[in-house]
Amino acid sequence: MENSKNDDRCISRRAFLIGSGAAVATTVLLNNIPGLEGKAIAAEVTTYPKKKIGRLSKLKANKPLTFKYPDDGKNSQSILVKLGTPAGGGIGRKKDVVAFNTLCTHMGGPMGRFYQSADKALGPCPFHQSTFDLTRHGMIVTGHATQSLPQVLLEVEGDDIYAVGLIGLIYGRYDNLKG
Amino acid sequence: MSTPHYQPEDRVPLPPKNAEVLTTCCDYCIVACGYKVYRWPANAKPGGPKKSQNALNRDFVLPGSTSIPGRSGNWVSPTQVTQAAYKGKLYNIAVVPDGDSKVVNVGGDASIRGGCIAQKVYNPKSPTQDRLKYPMVRVHDTLMPVTWDFALDIMADVSRHVLKNHGENAWGLKYFSYQYYENTFALTKLAFRNIGTPAVAHHDHPAIVNSVPGWVDIGYDIFPAAYEDFSLADTIFLSGTDPYEAKTIVWNEWILKGIQKNKTKVIMVNPRRTAGVAHIEKNGGLWIDITPGTDQALHNAIARVILEKGWEDKEFIKRFVNNKWETDSGFGQGTRNTPWQWRTTWGKIGVVNGIEAYKKWNLGEKSADPKVAAKICGIDVKKIYKAAELMAKPKRGKRRKLTIGIEKGNYWSNNWGNTASVGVLGIICGAGGKPGSAVTRLGGHQRGGRGGGPYPGIRSPYKFPGRRRHRLDLDRWVEAGHLRFAYVVGTTWMQAMAGSAAMQDSFKRQVKLNPNQVKSFDKKEIIETLKKRVDSGGMVVVNQDIYLIDPVGSQYADIILPAATWGEDSFTRENGERRIRLYSKFYDAPGDAKPDWKIVSMFAKKMGFDGYDWKDSNDVFEEACRFSRGHRSDFNAIKVAARKAGMKAHDFLAKRGTQGYQAPLLWVDGKIMETPRQHWYDRNKNKKFAIPETGPEGPTVIKKNIMAFKSQTGKLNLMKTPWNFYWNQYHDYLKPRDGELWVTAGRINEIWQSGFDDTERRAYIQQRWPMNFIEIHPADAKKRGIESGDMVTVTNDRVAIQKDFNLGVKGDDMYFNGLKKRGHLKFESGEFSAVAIVTPAIKKGVTFTNFLDKKQAFNSIAPRVPDPMTMNYNYKIAMGKVKKIGESPFKKSFSQMSFIRRDIA
Repeated sequence: MENSKNDDRCISRRAFLIGSGAAVATTVLLNNIPGLEGKAIAAEVTTYPKKKIGRLSKLKANKPLTFKYPDDGKNSQSILVKLGTPAGGGIGRKKDVVAFNTLCTHMGGPMGRFYQSADKALGPCPFHQSTFDLTRHGMIVTGHATQSLPQVLLEVEGDDIYAVGLIGLIYGRYDNLKG
Repeated sequence: MSTPHYQPEDRVPLPPKNAEVLTTCCDYCIVACGYKVYRWPANAKPGGPKKSQNALNRDFVLPGSTSIPGRSGNWVSPTQVTQAAYKGKLYNIAVVPDGDSKVVNVGGDASIRGGCIAQKVYNPKSPTQDRLKYPMVRVHDTLMPVTWDFALDIMADVSRHVLKNHGENAWGLKYFSYQYYENTFALTKLAFRNIGTPAVAHHDHPAIVNSVPGWVDIGYDIFPAAYEDFSLADTIFLSGTDPYEAKTIVWNEWILKGIQKNKTKVIMVNPRRTAGVAHIEKNGGLWIDITPGTDQALHNAIARVILEKGWEDKEFIKRFVNNKWETDSGFGQGTRNTPWQWRTTWGKIGVVNGIEAYKKWNLGEKSADPKVAAKICGIDVKKIYKAAELMAKPKRGKRRKLTIGIEKGNYWSNNWGNTASVGVLGIICGAGGKPGSAVTRLGGHQRGGRGGGPYPGIRSPYKFPGRRRHRLDLDRWVEAGHLRFAYVVGTTWMQAMAGSAAMQDSFKRQVKLNPNQVKSFDKKEIIETLKKRVDSGGMVVVNQDIYLIDPVGSQYADIILPAATWGEDSFTRENGERRIRLYSKFYDAPGDAKPDWKIVSMFAKKMGFDGYDWKDSNDVFEEACRFSRGHRSDFNAIKVAARKAGMKAHDFLAKRGTQGYQAPLLWVDGKIMETPRQHWYDRNKNKKFAIPETGPEGPTVIKKNIMAFKSQTGKLNLMKTPWNFYWNQYHDYLKPRDGELWVTAGRINEIWQSGFDDTERRAYIQQRWPMNFIEIHPADAKKRGIESGDMVTVTNDRVAIQKDFNLGVKGDDMYFNGLKKRGHLKFESGEFSAVAIVTPAIKKGVTFTNFLDKKQAFNSIAPRVPDPMTMNYNYKIAMGKVKKIGESPFKKSFSQMSFIRRDIA
């Protein structure tokens, strides 16, 4: 984890608490993730894979890179982008590097090509014009999604950027890691 | 900074194959998307990803797609799952848009509001845990639970006392006119048939009046369209709303289809550049960014251009406009002391000699000159010409199919003038009555009102100049101290009415500052105290709702009655294309809450009234059926069909799932025949909907509305709409001065109404809208040192309030200047705070806020001077000074509120 002042409080994103198996998943609070400010996220038994998706030095502001996460299966299309302004969950010196799944959480419209550099948004979705705020954890700006755009958790090791988890359920899946 | 617990989950339990499946519709906006409710025991094994393993009938992973019934939709978002008790046991519940639907939300589309509706369900582990569960009585200014009998005995005794000693007019009902036929039928049966009071008002008006009076005069019904018409039109003229924002699926599934498949050109008249505006501009449409309250001039000028170019629909006008004798004929409209008669035969606005007379008037009307209109409206004059072209210029020799859709931005900022003038545009362009061409409201709430008795108009003390009676204005009645008993059902009342700060003051005066306050739990003493309050000029308040609402419930109610709502009983209602569906009960109401119809029946019995022996909501529905005959909502045929099949009416309707039936329903050849659209003059050319030559059968009522227009002759009336009639007086007063800005208000896509379900209890929406907002143009913001995220106050120190009802004698006594002169207005101040959103997507000089934020109420600055002809408030037009007071916590937060513009294309 990058730039952590209190490493003993920093929980590795690769080790999550066991879910209870009840209808509603138990949650764990991750205090020290920059920008998340105490937001709780769901936990899973199995770990999310750690996947290298890019290099900080190669990232240019407002030039997104596409990748797939957490696997190569359906609906795994994702986008890595250096926004140029600080963002929730952002890594890098300026805390401006974020990544998100690019399927609209309304009805699965493909938004990969719709990064708005002036507004730091993804959208409007070609299906029904939903738009998401990439500086605020994929919050809906205006639109029809019942869930924020799933955010890919990022870690940096040296110059390498790793995708290490997901906050939010990918459209079309019932379990991010099962399909 | 901690956030309201929005927890994005990364998995969701799928309903197992044997989960029970019920159908319902959304409880929110007019569109009423169809939903399937999946219910399975809380400890059961969840479903699996294969089609054969889950009740959704889908193979996961689902591909993204839209509008394919049976193939798209049915993804379960974590927000769509909850738990609830049913028959005392705990179940998992998933409320998912109906992916098999071929109507309305085709293929399982949904808006953000309905999409999250599972979170409305009472679940004590969620923020819904503060649902009202038990009747309460205020003792020592503290609301405490009591039994139903205790509460209703007090309510009945005090009511009897009020009726006996102060008359029916002193007993009033303020209620939600849309909350299911069963409930509204019961409430109005009680108020009109048994109590006989004229002191009744709906949630959104000060009196029971028509929203769109201009169309009542002309002959257009307010909900005649089929949603399909939006996808078939060549041009759509939308005024006072962006359907994307507040009737979302009409946009997503119908207007968008028109744009994509039909090259529909959309005109949007709106001071805001919304997401819908951005999209239509990209697709050959037109944004008309008018100054609030100036639509009448715009319409007059567009009409002028069309007439000058000879683009009017001459055939339609010849066939469907009343001539001199038809204008003056018949009961209901025309002569004989009717509202229409006094409005039209005074010469100022009635058009008696058809299109030639209208033309003559328009050519002499200053505001119809495009240059003058452009100035009044603050727009580029080219837009007037472009609009006329898009609406009426023949396309390759053929007339364009024009659909006109309006909502409150239009009809509540100059209620009569805007609606009459836009209706005239419809006539001139030949709009209405055929596929692809409708003149319609878009709608706000769903249509769930069924009258259980006639309004006792003769008891209203209000009158127009001349002899005509007026409906009782309940707000003014309370202000003037004449209401002794207020039964408030399902509405905030105060925040929902204009001049809300002044309204609150009257409640305080009548209820709290009266010396007679309950200080004992002895039922007799409570009744005596409340009687004394009433006799000393005060007011007793009974509030029936699902949550404790501030201030009407939490501060002013003497008695609280807990109501059951959507999903907790079976109900019926129609949507904006008159589609009636059954909203199935699927879980237990909290505590001892009861459906509104049941509470009414319990109270009515205590009052000794007959006819309230209903055992279930189906009993109420079946009784209401015959009262719907002949109305737009006519659903009587459902009971006929049910009887024939040996079933209960509700059960019969349930078989039609989310498809329902489109009213008015006819009975033909022993079956139900639907009405896709009203005014459908070529209806008989379509075999599926042709009315038999032998005429209506059995219970069927065929009003003119079905195949002709809604007037005494079935033809339309043209109207003159002069700018200088009376509206300009009020508009001149409202115009911003001394650093003020226009402040207008409306719905915002992510929030439903007062936010009782979402901004108050839904973390996903609370994070998006933690506080009320105000959109302000960058130039206006810069001048005031305001940035996005700053906290501001909006103040109006000249809110005009009409104090009392003046007995109109001379013609212009009741217009703004006359009222002012005769001392019927007072001027007060109102204010609210909000978070600023600086955006170029709003007209310079105009600001926009949420219309019904309960805590930061826009209506405190909305002037309360009802339109003198129609008695409606012009809610959407106010002015105020916007001042920065500091920064909000959201300015620099990463997890709450977004300041990104909504109009990216």
